[in-house]
Amino acid sequence: MFLLLRDLRRARRDAALPRGPRGALQLRHVDAGSCNGCEHELGAASGPAYDLSRFGISITASPRHADVLLVTGPVTGGMRVALERAYEAMSEPRLVAALGDCALGCGPFRRSPEAAGRLEDVLPVDVRIAGCPPSPDAIAAGLIPLLDRRAGAG
Amino acid sequence: MPEVARAAGAARAGQAVVGPDLLRDEVAAVLASGGAVQALFAAAAGDGLEARYVCATPAGDLVLRCPAPRGEVPTIIDLAPHLAWDEREARDLFGLRFAGHEPHRPLVHHPGDLAAWATPVLGDDVHQVAVGPVHAGVIESGHFRFHTVGERIVHLDIQLFHKHRGLERVAEGGSAEEALATVGRACAACSVATGIAIAHAVEAARGLWPDDDLRRSRTLLAELERLYNHLHDIGAICAGVGLAPGAMAFAALKERAQRAIADLAGHRFMFGAVAAGAGAVAADRAAAGRARGALRELAPDVAAAWRSLLFDASLRDRARGAGALPADEARRLGTVGPAARATGVATDARERSPRLRYAGLRPAVPPGAEGDVAARMEARALELTDTLAMLDELLDGPVAPGHALPSAPPSAHGVGRAESPRGETVCAVELDGGAVRRVHLRTASFANWPAVARACRGAILPDFPLVNKSFELCYACVDR
Ligand code: SF4
Repeated sequence: MFLLLRDLRRARRDAALPRGPRGALQLRHVDAGSCNGCEHELGAASGPAYDLSRFGISITASPRHADVLLVTGPVTGGMRVALERAYEAMSEPRLVAALGDCALGCGPFRRSPEAAGRLEDVLPVDVRIAGCPPSPDAIAAGLIPLLDRRAGAG
Repeated sequence: MPEVARAAGAARAGQAVVGPDLLRDEVAAVLASGGAVQALFAAAAGDGLEARYVCATPAGDLVLRCPAPRGEVPTIIDLAPHLAWDEREARDLFGLRFAGHEPHRPLVHHPGDLAAWATPVLGDDVHQVAVGPVHAGVIESGHFRFHTVGERIVHLDIQLFHKHRGLERVAEGGSAEEALATVGRACAACSVATGIAIAHAVEAARGLWPDDDLRRSRTLLAELERLYNHLHDIGAICAGVGLAPGAMAFAALKERAQRAIADLAGHRFMFGAVAAGAGAVAADRAAAGRARGALRELAPDVAAAWRSLLFDASLRDRARGAGALPADEARRLGTVGPAARATGVATDARERSPRLRYAGLRPAVPPGAEGDVAARMEARALELTDTLAMLDELLDGPVAPGHALPSAPPSAHGVGRAESPRGETVCAVELDGGAVRRVHLRTASFANWPAVARACRGAILPDFPLVNKSFELCYACVDR
């Protein structure tokens, strides 16, 4: 396995993100009709090259443990109820982040007859991370300031 | 409209109209000639509906059109069982009924009543485990209902289409270019293959044939897509067994591939890199050389990382024998791509892609293909080697976008296909002058989901994530 880890060291060296403040932020992701591009980049942001967990940001399995609901996609009819339930399951204080142009209402699926068109029409949105998909750097840059905000809220 | 020739579908290419009474004979003739029915969908025609069958025959592509004046055509799923989901989708989206396909279990629609869509599984101690649509990790949304005894899976019902965006409908009435931009973006991880399949369908309808540059530039994009996907998928299998070093190593390799791709094609997923009628990506000698250099550095690291996995006993123990799909089941279910090749079924649409540049390509069938997780992983590793070699050759010099040139009279219908990282994707378009009347996309993921359900029959519940990851199908390109 040491061979594998050599690559990781190289990737770490290349990553030039700033270090975040102390603290932690638990994210729950809900795919509300994405093309999977935003998921790939969120995966990359928590992967070896960007490693969001260095900042105390990690993905949690349940919305009940989450500080932030990270939503991708234009909110299809088929996902709306599940999305609302995930939001209701979160405890306060909670934040909602729209990840990607689809959730922001300006993605390629905005004309879909099957979707709300933007997250804002379904849930109150606190954070907007633009891009199609947002790059892992953009995701990191959008989430890291929340560490401060959460400290303030708590 | 061409005349209907009785049971002669196999000898024709183009399009033909067949009445409901002769439909099954036509389909049987296509199959008897060694052809295949690759997709089935409904379309509005005049005041009513018709069913359309996309056939690949030895004489060429054939679109069989079967009018349904009473909203009903005979089912063909006894002749072509892999089209069961297609009939269910057409019924849900268009209300078209398929006589003999009973009971209808909704695929796109999600009835509240479990009995309306799930398979009844009876017996002592059978219970159900429901998962999704929201999952624990960062993955797409979909619902799985496991029927288990203890932790042994007896049957799995897969309910997708939570992400249905009606993209085919959005595209209708717009230009072919808009259709490619909308439907081609159904899924990020397959956007190149899907884009090429749609572009091929549009060009086939317009009577265009790609020149050498266009064949080369599209082949380059398709192989770049395969590269980062296969790296991703091998990493995902490692994650499926909790092997963090493997998962992280392949995630890092994927990242390096995507950075080289972004440098060359302007986008990490190559969005916007495929257009209809012409190429959309160019690279001068320096840019192509940079990409080639990056991939030449990547290749030995990929080989070394794969070798490390071969020596990892815990991974081998979990992957061997898990989620085995028998070859005859793969054929019956119409399984495509690495999942089919892992069972020993040597099918690869690249072999039959004269519109691309794949002369001499042979499907990569792993030796002793068992159809299990290990074989699906190995099929990808073999293909990575071939893909890296192909890319090295394709990047030997500047990349010109190329054009599609007139070669045949235009027609209303066109069929296109491409081998995505997950297998053969088929697209059918109907054009009306400049506008798209109907576009239908049948992706490799659509073809392969029933195989996932079959492969985890008899597995234990904790192995499902692993079996699922070994197929690594997209939900987005099924749901559309
Ligand atoms: S914003 Fe772009 S990448 Fe993200 S889900 Fe929408 S189309 Fe896909």
